[in-house]
Amino acid sequence: MEFDWMKIPYALLTLFIVVNYGFLLNALIQKIAARVGRRYGIPIWQNYVDLIKNYGLRSSITHGAMFYLGPVFRLSGGVGLLLFVPAIYGSYMFSNLSFAGDLILALYFIFFGTLGMALGAGESGHPYAAIGVSRGLSQVTTSELPLALAVFSVALQYQTLSVTEIVAAQQGGILNWTLFTNPVAVAAAMLSFLGSMMRPPFDVVLAPQEIPIGPPTEYHSSYLALMQTNRAIFPVAKIVIYMNLFFGGASDWPTFFLKVFLIYLWSAFVGVVFPRFRVEQSIRWFLIWAVPLGILSILMV
Amino acid sequence: MVSALYILIAALGAAFFLGFLKDGMRATAYALTLAALVFMNFISAGWVWVFVVDGAAPVEILTSGFPPPFAINLRMGLTEAALTLLVNLSGLLSALYLKDVLLALGRRSMAVLLIAVMALCGIILTRDIFNLFVFFELAAIATAGLILLSEDKRALSAGFKYMIVAQAISVLLLIGIIFSYHATGTLNIDGMAEASTELKTGASIAFFLMFIAVVAELKPFPANGWALDIYESAHPAFSAIFSAASGAAFLFAADKLLHIGGAAWFPLATGIGIVTFVAANLLALPQTNDRRLLGYSSIAQTGLVLAVLGQQDILGDRYLFVAGGLLFAHSIAKAGLYWLSGLIAGRELPDWAALRSRPLLIFAFVTFIAMLSGLPPFPGFYAKWELARLLAGEGRIALLALILFGALLEAGYLFRWFGYIIKREQPAQRVACTPHKLAPVIAAVVAGWALGYLWGDLSGHANLLLAVPLLFALSFLLLEWLPAWIKNTLAIAGMVAFFVLTYAEYDPLRLIFSVIILIGGPIIFLASYHEHGRRIGFYPAAMLMYAGLTLLIRANDSFGFFAAWEMLTVGSYFLILRGKHSEPHALSYIIFSLGGAFMILAGFALAAQGAPQFDLASLSLLTQPLAPWVFILLALGFMTKTAAIGLHIWLPGAHGEAETDVSPMVSGILLKAGLFGLIVLLMTMGKQQLYGIELTHVLLWIGALSALLGNLMAIFEEDAKRLLAYSSIGQMGYAVFGLALMNHLGWLMALMFVINHYIYKSMLFLSAGGVAKRTGTRDMYRMGGLITLMPLSFIATLIGIIAVSGVPPLSGFGGRWIFYNAILSSDVRLPMVILFFAGPIAFLYLFRLIHTIFLGQLKDEHRKLKEAPFWIILPQMIFVVLLLVFAVAPGLALRRVDTYLNQFFPEGGLNWAGTTISSNYGYWNPVAIMITVCVIFGSLFAWLLFVNRKAQKVKQFNIVFAGERPYRPETTHFAWNFFAPYRKALGFMVQPFVTRFWSGLTDLLHAAADLSRRLYNGNGQTYAFHFIAFVVVVYFLWTGV
Amino acid sequence: MVYIAMATGFLLILIGFYGALTNRNLLRMIVAFSIADTGINLVIISVGYLPGRTAPILDTTVTAAAAAARIIDPVPQALVLTAIVIGVGVTALMLAYTLKLYEKKRTLDIAKFTELKW
Repeated sequence: MEFDWMKIPYALLTLFIVVNYGFLLNALIQKIAARVGRRYGIPIWQNYVDLIKNYGLRSSITHGAMFYLGPVFRLSGGVGLLLFVPAIYGSYMFSNLSFAGDLILALYFIFFGTLGMALGAGESGHPYAAIGVSRGLSQVTTSELPLALAVFSVALQYQTLSVTEIVAAQQGGILNWTLFTNPVAVAAAMLSFLGSMMRPPFDVVLAPQEIPIGPPTEYHSSYLALMQTNRAIFPVAKIVIYMNLFFGGASDWPTFFLKVFLIYLWSAFVGVVFPRFRVEQSIRWFLIWAVPLGILSILMV
Repeated sequence: MVSALYILIAALGAAFFLGFLKDGMRATAYALTLAALVFMNFISAGWVWVFVVDGAAPVEILTSGFPPPFAINLRMGLTEAALTLLVNLSGLLSALYLKDVLLALGRRSMAVLLIAVMALCGIILTRDIFNLFVFFELAAIATAGLILLSEDKRALSAGFKYMIVAQAISVLLLIGIIFSYHATGTLNIDGMAEASTELKTGASIAFFLMFIAVVAELKPFPANGWALDIYESAHPAFSAIFSAASGAAFLFAADKLLHIGGAAWFPLATGIGIVTFVAANLLALPQTNDRRLLGYSSIAQTGLVLAVLGQQDILGDRYLFVAGGLLFAHSIAKAGLYWLSGLIAGRELPDWAALRSRPLLIFAFVTFIAMLSGLPPFPGFYAKWELARLLAGEGRIALLALILFGALLEAGYLFRWFGYIIKREQPAQRVACTPHKLAPVIAAVVAGWALGYLWGDLSGHANLLLAVPLLFALSFLLLEWLPAWIKNTLAIAGMVAFFVLTYAEYDPLRLIFSVIILIGGPIIFLASYHEHGRRIGFYPAAMLMYAGLTLLIRANDSFGFFAAWEMLTVGSYFLILRGKHSEPHALSYIIFSLGGAFMILAGFALAAQGAPQFDLASLSLLTQPLAPWVFILLALGFMTKTAAIGLHIWLPGAHGEAETDVSPMVSGILLKAGLFGLIVLLMTMGKQQLYGIELTHVLLWIGALSALLGNLMAIFEEDAKRLLAYSSIGQMGYAVFGLALMNHLGWLMALMFVINHYIYKSMLFLSAGGVAKRTGTRDMYRMGGLITLMPLSFIATLIGIIAVSGVPPLSGFGGRWIFYNAILSSDVRLPMVILFFAGPIAFLYLFRLIHTIFLGQLKDEHRKLKEAPFWIILPQMIFVVLLLVFAVAPGLALRRVDTYLNQFFPEGGLNWAGTTISSNYGYWNPVAIMITVCVIFGSLFAWLLFVNRKAQKVKQFNIVFAGERPYRPETTHFAWNFFAPYRKALGFMVQPFVTRFWSGLTDLLHAAADLSRRLYNGNGQTYAFHFIAFVVVVYFLWTGV
Repeated sequence: MVYIAMATGFLLILIGFYGALTNRNLLRMIVAFSIADTGINLVIISVGYLPGRTAPILDTTVTAAAAAARIIDPVPQALVLTAIVIGVGVTALMLAYTLKLYEKKRTLDIAKFTELKW
């Protein structure tokens, strides 16, 4: 197969756009959440400040090469996920590296970062990191399940696993979106979405507000910077999949920005309203409320 | 040829002459006894020779110069010759064995022994019914005399109990004889058979009395308490005669009576026989006394042969083959075991652990229990196969089921016993080994193998003892004196050479399996170089397993397939048993496996419909209503090996407790045998319906549930190897699921799992085994932080878990990708949900595996550990390379199979254009994925390395910990009960219901057996009552029916 | 006549069995079996008996040529002889056993010899 080398700079361009958008989006969502709580919130450019500061810091300690794997896997996962999925429908320029694989590749690549992060965090030897991993993995088994079912339902519906073809099938009006042609699957997927965005009620894995817990406990300076970068890329990359599968994709950047923002807002919206679940509670919640919807969507296709 | 009459004359004459010797001339008397026995053997052997080699016709021997009705006549035919040889040989060998006792007791005991042997020969030879009675009485009197040879004082009461029952038997026999005579006017057996229209009716009480009297000598249940007491208390050499020779003679007498009575009486024989077989085997379960246990087994085996006597109407010309195979296997094995028991000081079963100091005797023991259990290549195996084939062909399914159930019970207690021998503490007393006691045992072993060869020759199938892989495996028995590394080299060379010679013969599908067995096996054998010493018992067992596997994929007909299946089962059982604590697990493994094997046997027998040869390919010709039942039986049998949920409880212990290099063999390779069976089954039979239920759908559910529950159980496991074992249950579940999808991609996915599972599970087991070897524990929470000490083991584990989890870019992803494409083309939905759930759960146990062992906090006692031994690391590194190659180029292995599968599933194949693999639904480019991931990953990693080039390595406890620094790794290593929240949420799904079910079942069997054996309360009078009640009840049941 | 003999024989057998099953004394059991043996012998004889014929002994009154028509069936008689001999042997052996058993435990009660069971 001929490889078009131009794809590489194109892909890097997508990456650049998404990183910047991600930084702004994260800050915006955080600000919205703060306003709901009658706080002022962070400045919109706060993430840039943090990032520059963290990249600028030089760490003088390390837990060994395996320790690096955490952020490296994490960011590779985010970038890879973004690049294996076409960002803008119908655009050769922003189709990224989607020739390498279909939807299944994207789905499984979500786990790439999780696994690597867990490994790197384990190497730090910090028990809080291990506890966070234990919680995170436990939760992810059930929170991803409705998404997997919904994806399967959509693949059955369109009889393809190719993301581009799924988007193509939704063109020609808002009523052609999967949201309207297969609402049950979308409902299941959107519930699953809540579990993967690290916001309440499913954020016990990181518990960001209180004691430092979760995989990043021991990471600082440039390690943390890498992870912050990923925190900008990964949600967008994941939302791109949602957008492509359920909300008709995006054929230009403005639509892209809008749809991603709205989907992201859904998790923030739920997050500011609900308190936090313990892990076993969230496992049960997904099994009781979200999984049946997913099963239903498979049976109804 | 010397007339057979001289057998009797020699014994009588010698016994008579012994009376003239002075009591002091014991050596002379003993020599005379032996000489007489040798002469008797010589005559029998001569006749066997004449009949077998020259093909002579049977010879009638007339006494007193008159033809039959007017005088007693004897007959010598092939059966008689073989049976008298059996009787005489056991007599001679027992006399040899009894040397000390006979010399101590003097000439009278020798005379009694001679009379006993003579009487048994007489029972076999005579064709006169009254003469038969006389020999019966002689045998009874001699038996009562020989019981007294024992040093055990309790034998006295056993003998008296026997006399009481013998009296009752003789009363019935005489009444029966005289009225039969009255009805037919002759005492000649053949004459009666011709004249006896009345006796043949089935209602004749005269014949019934004769028959039941003879049957009573065969110790039918429940009128057999006296026999058990004799077995327990008599001298083992006498028990050998009593079991082997008396059993054979009385069975032949029963056969003669059935000759008179004709077909109307066959069901009676079968009924009594099968009840005895099952009941005696059941009652044997709670036995702890070795000789009594053997007694139960003897009774059971005799019952089985009696049941076969009753089936002669359908056995036709295979009658002698079947009955003889079972009888000889039983006689030789039982005599051998009784002789062995004389060498053991203690009477409890675990006392036999003394045998461990003598590998030769262990081999003898194995030979004997294999003969009793009907394992290849012994006569019982061929006989069992023929019997099952003919029974199923005639639709006698209930009988077949009972026989197999009884045989499973018997195998259960025999192999449990073997487990005691290998695993229990050796008693203080050593095995008393004198040459004259050893010789009979060795002779029995030799006879067993020789008959195995003979029966293989007569079987009409390929003689198993001529199969090259089996011979190669057996030859390691002779090489046991060599050091392990030489044997290891030989094993590797042999397997690779066999592959090179034969690889052209396999179709692409079989080629995958043959590569895994014959090339994959040797790679794992590399790890065996680590073992030093001679490693006695390892190589014959391992090679037997590999021989079975090899023969399995080479088998064309059902017989070859089944024989190979049994071989690999037995070989792997011996392998698994070698683990330090694997006694109970090996036992449950062999019981499940044999149970599965019996289902396969029944399935094939049903499928063959009585045809002597049955090609595997002919399975496709089966039609309703038979086909679904065959399908169920075979599928269940195969799923005992893939450890499908419900049949899985043997696997975790068996794989977890096995030795370091054995675990990958039995996990990475052996489990594939079950998958291969399923592939053959589904390839030929395809979809089957039973009562409207699509059976492949049931398989789908089983596969999905196995995947889910296997994975769930793995995450709560603290033991590294058991965790991997449970993971195998899950992985096999995926493969079964793929096969059951019954479409092109489903099969491809199953094959992908076959290859992947071999590579990564072997690798992980070796890695975990190597770590366990260094740390001295398999509990993961006792480890931690080993990454710097054992980097290579870590790399193997890391690559392994990435591959298992299915995360790109390694080969596990290929399996998942094919899986999604496969289910898209299937119209089944619900089982997929379960598999979707099972998938991510794998992350949990995989992360735990690598985290708790290699990451986290290093323990103080492990600070000086070294990397795992070189020979254990080497195969892991080979596997790493294989995994990477297979990840980038799955087409190497799969492309040809993909094309091959087109003939079964023409639709839905893959396209292999360049490096991209595409299906009807999606596409996947392993090379591009690998490059992309590596570039991103590599550049980020390099950048971090560069940025932190001056960073110092942090000390172990220099971590932020709520403002304090921990100083103990034990408190800081978060590892034990790692997924506690998960257990809270979903722990209810891994309650050991299945284990409870099976242990409840075995407990029930044991309790029932323990309760019913109290029937034998030891009182001779009760035994007499049992006998009378037995006769009456059988009579009313018989005439009522 | 024949039937009386046969019925007596069977009666003796039943008496013998009854005795053997109800008496716990070893010697009494042996006696009971002897009675049963006698009953058997009676039965055998009665089966071979033919009314109006003579004993199966060839002499001047019964010539070999006329034997088939004039004598009763000689076979059962021969059988009885053998059975009696065997019966004696068995009884002797049982008595010997009884002696040994008595020496061992100083009792003749069969219910006391139950060390071997289950």
